[in-house]
Amino acid sequence: MSTYVYGITRTPAPPLPDGLTGVGDPPRPVRVLERDGLVALVSDAPDDLKPKRRELLAHQQVLAQASAERPVLPMRFGSVSQDDATVGAVLAERAGHFRERLDALEGKVEYNIKASHDQEAVLHLVMADNPELRAMSEANRAAGGGTYEQKLQLGEKVAQAVQAREGEDAALLRRALEPLAAEISEGPDSMGWLANLSVLVDREGADGLLAAIEELGTSAPQLDLKVNGPLPPYSFVEKSDAAADATASAGAARAGG
Amino acid sequence: MTVATAQQQGGGTGNLYDVLELVLDRGLVIDAFVRVSLVGIEILKIDVRVVVASVDTYLKFAEACNRLDLESGRNKSPGLPDVVGQVTESGSRGKTKGALSGAAQTVSDVFQQARDESQDSGSRRRTTTRRKEERE
Repeated sequence: MSTYVYGITRTPAPPLPDGLTGVGDPPRPVRVLERDGLVALVSDAPDDLKPKRRELLAHQQVLAQASAERPVLPMRFGSVSQDDATVGAVLAERAGHFRERLDALEGKVEYNIKASHDQEAVLHLVMADNPELRAMSEANRAAGGGTYEQKLQLGEKVAQAVQAREGEDAALLRRALEPLAAEISEGPDSMGWLANLSVLVDREGADGLLAAIEELGTSAPQLDLKVNGPLPPYSFVEKSDAAADATASAGAARAGG
Repeated sequence: MTVATAQQQGGGTGNLYDVLELVLDRGLVIDAFVRVSLVGIEILKIDVRVVVASVDTYLKFAEACNRLDLESGRNKSPGLPDVVGQVTESGSRGKTKGALSGAAQTVSDVFQQARDESQDSGSRRRTTTRRKEERE
């Protein structure tokens, strides 16, 4: 029987609600495997596990329960071990690494912030900033919408202006979040957001973060902001590039000297 | 402006859809474990810009400008068609219908489709539970 792994934390095992279940249909009971002061949250792995919404939700819920009060290193969805013994062996082999990451993430949670433009608001904004666009638009409107060529010309210029604005607003969001974040990570660029950022913050710092986002939403009305959190630190389970670079360059300096 | 905050604490489902890519694309990967095949869901990784440079987009923008009330845009401070208040699921979906978010909408649709397909035709996909053989 192969073993599905949700996440890794320390002993003592986090209190889990009675009957907590994870992936599979019927959902498999969640259990813990302990080894060398570390705990893996696991369940039996269903044979036909697929990335369905229900399974993703189960994965996320187990991690949300387990990480309510302490850091848990979340596994990426769909991590399956040959058996329980292999999970134990992995915990033992990499105990030092896991402990280091758990120390680094102690007391911290991830928030994910996605920004998009409110179309009408951003169009107003680029029009207000750009007399040429305004003139073209008014001329088109006066001509009953304009010719196909004229529409294309206007549309292309507007698209460019909006695109430029996306870049500016992505930077604006990053600047607003940076002072409050222990770390910041670009989310996968896949869903058509102008910015998708994950920040690592102290649990206690979350209110300040939410207040700053609220404030940004007010001062930049063209932005639609979606905030999700607190989340297990999906985006921060490995050392950030900056931290890794620092380690690498320290190593290089040592090697050079 | 809209700010929507979904609290995930205490095992609440929150809005999983919004963090799906983190569950799928982030998190710890250990080479001793095999990962479930994500065939049918990798469409998520396609890099889609919000503003797609295409004739279609240009025409949509031109039309949106044509409908835009420029007077209010100039006389009020920019961007004031301010939508404040509770963001409901349907509210935010309604707002993604413009030219701007057309691409995002398309991706969601494709994703939805991929998801449906993965439910329908699961028998064609195999969950790999064998340990990687190349591991020494």
